[in-house]
Amino acid sequence: MKLPDYAELHCLSNFSFLRGASHADELVGRAKELGYCALAITDECSFAGVVRAHVAAKQAGLKLLIGSELVLTDGIKLVLLAQDRAGYGNLCAIITLARRRAAKGSYRLGHHDLVRGVPGCLALWIAGAQATPDDAGWLRDAFPGHAWIAFERHLQPDDKRRLAALRELSAQSGLPLVACGDVHMHARARRPLQDVLTALRRKTSVDDAGGALFANGERHLRSRLRLARLYPPELLAQTLRIADLCNFSLDELRYEYPQDDVVPAGQTPAAYLKAEVDQGLAVRYPSGTPAKVRQQIAYELALIEQMNYEAYFLTVYDIVKFARAHKILCQGRGSAANSAVCYALGITEVDPAHSEMLFERFISKERNEPPDIDVDFEHQRREQVIQYIYAKYGRERAALTAAVISYRTRSALRDCGRALSIDSDRIDALTSSLAWWDDPDQLAERFAEVGLDANSPRVEKWLILSKQLIGFPRHLSQHVGGFVISRGRLDRLVPIENAAMAERSIIEWDKDDIDALGLMKVDVLALGMLSAIRRALDSISARDDRAFRMQDIPRDDPAVFAMISRADTVGVFQIESRAQMAMLPRLKPCCFYDLVIEVAIVRPGPIQGGMVHPYLRRRQGLEPVSYPSPEVESVLQRTLGVPIFQEQVMQLAIVAAGFSPGEADHLRRSMAAWKRRGGVGHLRERLITGMLERNYSREFAESLFRQIEGFGEYGFPESHAASFALLVYVSAWLKHHEPAAFLAGLLNSQPMGFYSSSQLVQDARRHRIEIKPPDVQHSDWPSSLAGSSALRLGLRQISGLGRDAGQRIAAARPFIDVADLARRATLSRDDLDQLAAGGALATLAGHRRQAAWATAAVPLQRDLLREASASETVIALPAPSEGEDLVADYASLQLTLGRHPLKLLRALLEARRYVTAATLRAYGNHRVARCAGIVTGRQRPGSASGVVFLTLEDESGLINVIVHPKLAERQRRELLSAKLLGVFGVLQREGEVVHLIAKRLVDHSDLLGRLPTSSRDFH
Amino acid sequence: MVEDGRVVLADALARAAGIDRGTGVAAARMLAPAITLLARSRSREAAALQTLAGWAGRFTSRVSVTPDALLLEVGSCLRLFGGLDKVANAVGEGVQAQGFTAALAAAPTPLGAQWLAQAGTAARCSDGVDLRRQLDALPLDVLPERIATVLHGFGASTLADVRRLPGAELARRIGVGCRQLMAKAFGELPDPRADFVFPDRFALAIELPSSVENAVALLFAARRLSFALSGWLAARQSGVREFSLHLLQRQNETRLLLQFSAPTADQRRFERVLRERLERTTLAAPVDSLRLEATQLTALPGRSQTLFNDSNDDREAIGVLLERLAARLGEAQVYRVAVHDDHRPECATRQLALSAAVTPAARSTLPRPLWLVAAPQQLAEIDGRPCRRGPLRLLAGPERIESGWWDEGEANGDIRRDYFIALASDGCWLWIYRDARLPGGWFLHGYFA
Repeated sequence: MKLPDYAELHCLSNFSFLRGASHADELVGRAKELGYCALAITDECSFAGVVRAHVAAKQAGLKLLIGSELVLTDGIKLVLLAQDRAGYGNLCAIITLARRRAAKGSYRLGHHDLVRGVPGCLALWIAGAQATPDDAGWLRDAFPGHAWIAFERHLQPDDKRRLAALRELSAQSGLPLVACGDVHMHARARRPLQDVLTALRRKTSVDDAGGALFANGERHLRSRLRLARLYPPELLAQTLRIADLCNFSLDELRYEYPQDDVVPAGQTPAAYLKAEVDQGLAVRYPSGTPAKVRQQIAYELALIEQMNYEAYFLTVYDIVKFARAHKILCQGRGSAANSAVCYALGITEVDPAHSEMLFERFISKERNEPPDIDVDFEHQRREQVIQYIYAKYGRERAALTAAVISYRTRSALRDCGRALSIDSDRIDALTSSLAWWDDPDQLAERFAEVGLDANSPRVEKWLILSKQLIGFPRHLSQHVGGFVISRGRLDRLVPIENAAMAERSIIEWDKDDIDALGLMKVDVLALGMLSAIRRALDSISARDDRAFRMQDIPRDDPAVFAMISRADTVGVFQIESRAQMAMLPRLKPCCFYDLVIEVAIVRPGPIQGGMVHPYLRRRQGLEPVSYPSPEVESVLQRTLGVPIFQEQVMQLAIVAAGFSPGEADHLRRSMAAWKRRGGVGHLRERLITGMLERNYSREFAESLFRQIEGFGEYGFPESHAASFALLVYVSAWLKHHEPAAFLAGLLNSQPMGFYSSSQLVQDARRHRIEIKPPDVQHSDWPSSLAGSSALRLGLRQISGLGRDAGQRIAAARPFIDVADLARRATLSRDDLDQLAAGGALATLAGHRRQAAWATAAVPLQRDLLREASASETVIALPAPSEGEDLVADYASLQLTLGRHPLKLLRALLEARRYVTAATLRAYGNHRVARCAGIVTGRQRPGSASGVVFLTLEDESGLINVIVHPKLAERQRRELLSAKLLGVFGVLQREGEVVHLIAKRLVDHSDLLGRLPTSSRDFH
Repeated sequence: MVEDGRVVLADALARAAGIDRGTGVAAARMLAPAITLLARSRSREAAALQTLAGWAGRFTSRVSVTPDALLLEVGSCLRLFGGLDKVANAVGEGVQAQGFTAALAAAPTPLGAQWLAQAGTAARCSDGVDLRRQLDALPLDVLPERIATVLHGFGASTLADVRRLPGAELARRIGVGCRQLMAKAFGELPDPRADFVFPDRFALAIELPSSVENAVALLFAARRLSFALSGWLAARQSGVREFSLHLLQRQNETRLLLQFSAPTADQRRFERVLRERLERTTLAAPVDSLRLEATQLTALPGRSQTLFNDSNDDREAIGVLLERLAARLGEAQVYRVAVHDDHRPECATRQLALSAAVTPAARSTLPRPLWLVAAPQQLAEIDGRPCRRGPLRLLAGPERIESGWWDEGEANGDIRRDYFIALASDGCWLWIYRDARLPGGWFLHGYFA
């Protein structure tokens, strides 16, 4: 018997959330295996999964149809299939319409929305048991000649009767019958997972889901032999006719940059861009553009013209111009951002005259990928920029890209556990730490701890199903700031739906999808450091009464690099973390490019790839720098033969393994998806054989692959590192030369960065910056400069005080007494209480208790004020002790300007033979020492195999503690809950870097009494 | 115990691991991965206080309940119990016996006693001077949080500090509420409390004129108790689903639980069930007295005499029959059959206890036989076709049922079967299936007719 040909026209992927139980590539692969002629992906009112399906189908060589399943409000269920580009666009618009008018995650589409059909689309009616001739008539009229009745057979008792009924309906209405599968999974074996998804959708368990589950596993891609037995041949033949009528591929999508919006009328984009660049250069180089830069600009403009990228650069330019006009500090980064053109346009401050990088590297003709520019904005003002983009292009033309939120190990275990009726308390207990997931020895033990048998059938199923669920998309969320802007209507390119945040809309594709289709996007991101820098620059400008801008900061200041090399970098962008600080004295950066490397090297990618130590050794001259070939040398020379940047890995693949630029790009994408999807075996093969063929040693090839593997999703591009490095330099310069202004900028931009206000203030005080307390007679709302280099804390530091009240106080000061303050700044009782608690009334009413007593007497009716303060018995309350003030300081300001708490406890600590951080720094290597401090940070980096890094603070500085896993396990309690921790340990010194290797931990929190402390735990 | 994501109460083991009041849930799990976290239930706490209040009635008739404390007026019964310490000890032991821990304090004023107890002082103040001394030393925590915070700002840390602040000025700052509270605690203002109203529950005991050795002979006395119960229920327009009869013997006590299919106050039903039950009971020792208790009342809608014999009575009659059967055969021998939502035919029904509440299930439209055989019977095959006294004719099918993987290894487990309706040569309509997994084969699973 000859097997009939077949095309599956109704198939859901796992982008029909909690319904489809297979990935698109699994469906495509299986359909190809079974010899299907075509496969339609018809997720429910969504195109979120089509790009993945498209990529997979192209790779497998299978014809893909794009469509969507829609259930109308009156219960009619249709599958619409796009025949051509117009039909696809119309279907996008229909999905957008249905999604935009409903809450996130749902949709609403009525009969009446489809009265005139959807031109360019075919309709399959998934007729239910109550199908009526009226519905058939409606459908025939809405989709004349383009509608079918689908018969889906899943071995139900009434199959024969239903077929007969549908035949009759077909005869009456003239709509032909077609066979469909209502496929939910690629193979029968996914039935358990599909049941789990159903239970989760119904918010129940599989045990209780009952009839909500499918009665059998027939909704998979069935073999053609089975289909031949289940369906009449003419129904199967009909599927091929339909597949032949649909000839749309996502490759046809032609994206067009917005143009009229960013180019003045009458000018060509190229001419306008050139004019703007020239103008920019005149500002950048008042004494004439250097020849090197002129040459570079000419080269870049030619490349941009050739690739037709003018509109893209102008779009970004337009956004940056808006930000500048509103005094929002911003900085571009990404593959095209650090070009000379972008420097001229003011998109970046990385000066090409001083740069060793080439634009060519960031934008390549061969790869034909769209240029990529991310722009960071001040974190508290990015929303302004976003609203500008929406206002300028409208919601039909601009939308955020989606971020696909997928199941991770923890969420998969949680949800599968719930669906399998496993007690939620046990699930929580087991998922609170996942060390057992990869370690079968631990697994049984951990399960036993919570009273579960790891070998019981249910637990086995739990683990298997959780593994399957990992990587499944769960819902769409909004990308942090990736905008897609188009010339025409965006909703004819991709459906747009509502985001969880009001006033936001997202397209259904994420950045990988956009990448795969070559669409343009601009990332509008938020960066706290930019806020801090802008504020610091503003206060310097105000003090000196002359504009001081980022570009006015002198470059290559040796004093700044010296400070960085000392790891004196609390508050400095990027290089303030423990790991970075440990690296700085070893790396001793002395020029801008060193900072570029510094930013990129202390990241999980290079650390896991084992690049850090070879680079350090080579830099310190402990290891010779060698290259296996001149080609490799050209790529790796600037990083001493060690690949550190993502771009280098791609270039290596090209020059050493013979990858084409396109393949190298594929490698980059696979690297990004490594952790999530896996499956790079074939690339490994290709890379290693390629290198062996070119006479590289197997050892070199293997080590390169390991390095690539280590990069994983953390690969950091040089183009981003360069932009970050500039902010590193700028913030370090400010810290060195304008420490008070820099501190004010940081304090006024909190929360941000690695350190709390208290830690920043302690650091500044160690640098002998004078810091004055908040005071209603002197403070503004933000912290501000007091004189040339002292800082006055702002009223914003006082917790619970409203911004409006703070600004009224600053405007109305000075005051005669508390009553005057209350009246003229129209303060509430609460405001007064907060001011008293923050010690801000000291000059007006005395110490905290006296201030509290005074404010409490101010009646709320303001007209009674004068009278009320008349007949008071004056009492003198005893002043609070230093310790009590300290507690009150922390409670209200989260910091103290009094003596450090440990200073107060020093006598007690000395009795226990604890030394200060300053003393410790002077000790020699391997010396046994005891130190105590307030725990201000706990970190357990994924790359350090269970080692915990603690940061302790005492009155003289920070103490870095390393706790090895065994001790961490043994003294879990002290490690995790102590606020004031004593450490008995051994000093480890490497140059300037001092660590205390803990041997024993002692919890001294009781000494602190009621002092609340905050640790920034486990970033 | 956890409330709003924070630990509110930790046992000694948890405290040893560094977990205490205020610890976050995530932190607690990190500190002790195997910890058991229980959600705090205010309603259960309130219910526990109510129960204890009812129990406390044995000490004094004047009990009052506050959200956080139980107040017992024991001044009037000191003589009866032999002094304050004895009463306090008796209360403490009694509370402990019920599985609770009590923080106890005694004082001349209710609020004073409550504060002293909350502060964990275990004070036994007998006079005003002692009370003042003890209260003065208390921290501000006993006051409402808002007031305590303000007073703390003035530098006060004990009640004595507060009393030292000038009264009028203080009142202007924090209002008079605090002063009044303090005055009540210190006994300067009267502090009348609403008495706890003891709950309605029926408990009646009857002393037998002489020891009885034969259970049936108890019926007469038991009837008297059930009469009383019936009357008491009638007055409250309520019924019971169950009551217990306690047979008090010299050394121990036998408790019989009597259950009904629906709430009732009908004395005849009480008596019938009592009779059935006592007839089956063998006494190990002679009984001296009987006690009947009913704790859970259900309101019965008032019902007028019906003109016609309506279906309600039929249903009650069935109820009566079931009760008799259950009393005769044993509770476990009589069960209800209920529909259960599951694709697997053998899991589509379930046995429920007689007194379990039943929710009506949606009726399935699938063709299912009335009679399912206890275990599928393998059918003979001729040329791969199923036979049962001759070859079977397949009338409808296949219907594929493929479900149940989740309880594989625990209960019925996963099945994959193709069901057919088949006609046997003797005219029987059968429900048969072919196992779609290896090794397969045909089975009879039910009869339609």
